[in-house]
Formats: sequence, structure tokens, C-alpha cells
Amino acid sequence: MNVIINLLSVLLAGVGTTLLLLAGALSAGFALGVPIGILHVFGPWPVRALLHAFDLILRGFPAIVLLFLFYFGIGAIDGVDLSSLQAAILALGLRSAAYQGQLVRGAIRMVEPGQLEAARSLGMSLPQALLQVVLPQALRFALPGLANEYSVVLKDTALAFVVGVVELMSRAKFLAASTRQLTLVYLLVALLYWLLTQAGLFAFFAAERRTSVPRLGADSRRPR
Amino acid sequence: MSVWLSILPELADGLATTLLLIAASVPLGLVLGTSAALLRVYGPRPLRAAAAMYQSVFRGVPLVVQLFVLYYVLPRWGLLLSPFAAATIGFGLCSGAYHSEYIRSAIQSVPPGQLEAARALGMSPLRAVWSVVLPQAARKAVPGCGNEIVYLVKYSSLAYLVTLVDLAGAGRLQAYASFRFFEVFLVVGLVYLALVAVVRAALHLLQRYWRRSTAVIGR
Repeated sequence: MNVIINLLSVLLAGVGTTLLLLAGALSAGFALGVPIGILHVFGPWPVRALLHAFDLILRGFPAIVLLFLFYFGIGAIDGVDLSSLQAAILALGLRSAAYQGQLVRGAIRMVEPGQLEAARSLGMSLPQALLQVVLPQALRFALPGLANEYSVVLKDTALAFVVGVVELMSRAKFLAASTRQLTLVYLLVALLYWLLTQAGLFAFFAAERRTSVPRLGADSRRPR
Repeated sequence: MSVWLSILPELADGLATTLLLIAASVPLGLVLGTSAALLRVYGPRPLRAAAAMYQSVFRGVPLVVQLFVLYYVLPRWGLLLSPFAAATIGFGLCSGAYHSEYIRSAIQSVPPGQLEAARALGMSPLRAVWSVVLPQAARKAVPGCGNEIVYLVKYSSLAYLVTLVDLAGAGRLQAYASFRFFEVFLVVGLVYLALVAVVRAALHLLQRYWRRSTAVIGR
């Protein structure tokens, strides 16, 4: 029992960094993903073409290759100087921005076009109509996808140790090597990640229920 | 230009390993996923619970942790896996858990009358599921499972973490040897991108073929 408590105390310190990575990547991904999603739908074609290229690279490259590329590639350019944590947040954040952009794009498409037309004909400007009429509906549609994105990004943070970020996985590797308690260490790590996944999914599910508007989904998703 | 071209030949062996890994783990994942989905829909209660547990665990724990357990922890318990076997089993188990969700919802979207009609014609339950329900479910599961296969192609890059010299591993070795990190990893990423494009094209063809051959039930 003592062994478990000792191991856990070391591992839990790593959970902090894992959560920092997760929060950084997810919020950067959201802050960029929402405008990206809007531009996917409403942007002029050169912007859309550019976004398509961004998308292709960030969604087509494996996470681990992106981590290497940002840390050893971009981080090594003179004058850039990224710490491993910064490089990891940047790589995972931009990758998540590409995925969240696609989610938001799909969600905007689910909002009935009449909504935007009605808002515009009431005299709202386009940004105003998007911000106050389309997005509040679209983000509700995007929530299940965002929950999934949470669990994907959480699990991808476990790769950040390859560029030297000392998070949960990296501490586990260290503990496994130094205590020789491989089975116990990796079972505890698996349990911690599983709990984090479940807790997050539960929170997203709760958010989905709290923000749900009666008949919104049923109305807007009718075939057209 | 010559710098960029000189990177590619060094990656050939790694690419071959990656292709082998994908070829071995995709079928394994599909078999596991279909079995788990069938158990979740038709299985008795304990097996249903076991299948749900399998999905939850393998989708809730990072793939790296799963690979480390297979490769570093299992030998402690007397089961020594080669790096290739550990990676293949790890990828198969993990993608199977994701496949099973898509296949389960595909099975459940086949009208129940199909199974009843097949049974009424005298087919055994196994036979009815195998030749009436599953072929229809497979067509509906293609988009989801296809996405999962694309993910597997990209996540196969984790194989180097269990000492296998796959595409990512070969890239890493070359980057350290030449100190051309940016160029090498960019090329490695583009090769993965090409692999993804090929897989997507193949899935697209499969979907079109199935849509033509089953014009009536395909929708």
C-alpha cells in the first residue's frame, strides 16, 4: 500500500503538467479553430485554399512527427528558441485547431441557412449575425465532437515526452526504470489516464445537457 | 533539391516496416472490432459488459501506455513479445475498440426485420447475422471504420517507441545522424500524408463499388 502511495505521489505531480499541456492545446485549438471553421465556410477562396493546405499538413502528419518538427525543426531555427513545453503546446494546439476547425465547419453547416438570412434581413451585420445567431447554435452541435477531441488531445499529450516534456508519461518511464515496479507503475498510469478521460467526457456530457435548447436539434437537422 | 531527395532512400526500409505493420494490424483490428460489436449487440449480459469494458479501457488509455504494457510489462509475467508483435497487437487492440463502436451502431441501424426474415427463412442465428446483417452493416460502417484506419496509419508511428525502426524511427535515426531535423521530419510527414491519401482513395473506391453492387440496400 505504501508503495502505491509513493508511486502515486510522483505520478500525480506529472498530472499537473499533463493538464497544463491539455488545457493549453485545447484552448489554443479552440481559439483558432472557431475562426478557422467560420473561414472554411464564409472565407474568400484564397483563404479557404490556404486553410486547406494547413489542414492537410496538420491533420495528415502523425502527432509524433509534428512534435519532432516543432521542437527539433522550428524550435532550432536561430532566434526562435522554443522550450519543450512550448513546442509541445504549439504542435498539439495547432493540430487540434485543424480538427476543431473541421468540427466547427460541420456544425455551422448544420445550422439552417434561413437563420443567417433572417438575422441579416433584420439588419444585423454579417459578423454580428454569425456571432449572435449562427455560432451559439453551431457550438451546441459541435459539443459531442469537441468531447471526442478532448479525449484525443489528452491521449496525445502522452507523446510529449518524446521532446522532453516531463509530464505523466515521462514520470512513469522514469519510475518504471528506477523502481523496477513496471507492472504497478503502468497500471497506475493507465488508470490515471482512464480517469481523466472519463471525467472529461462526463463534464462535456453535462455541458451538453445544460446548454441544450428544447427542439433545437430536431428542428435544425430536418432534411433540406 | 538533392538534399531532399537523398532523404528518401534512407527511409525505404522504415517505410516497408510501416506498411507491414499496417497490413497486419488493420485486419486484426477489424476482426476484434467486429467481434466486440457482435458481443455488445447479441451477447449475453456478462459478455456484453466485457465488450463494453474492452471499449472503454482501450479508448480511454493512451496508445503509448498500451504499447509499453505489451512490450515492457508482459515479459515480467513470462510473455515476451517481439517489437513487431507488440506493436501489431497493440494497434489491433486499440483500433478494434474504436471500430467496434462504428460497427455496433451500423449493426443496430440494420432494420430488425432483416434478421427476423432471415430466421423465418430457416437460417440459423449465426448464419443470419453473418450473411444478412453483417454485409449491410459493413457498408454503413465504412466511413467510420475508414477514418479509424486513417488514424491507425498515422498512429503506427508510435511503433518506434517499442524499438521498431519504422518510418518515424528511420526518420529519427537519419535526423540525428545528419542534424537536418526540419527537412527529415517534413519528408517523413509527407510520406505519411501520401500513405493517408492512398488509404482514403482505396476506401473511396470500396465505397463506390459497394454502392453500385447494392443499389437497393446501400442507402
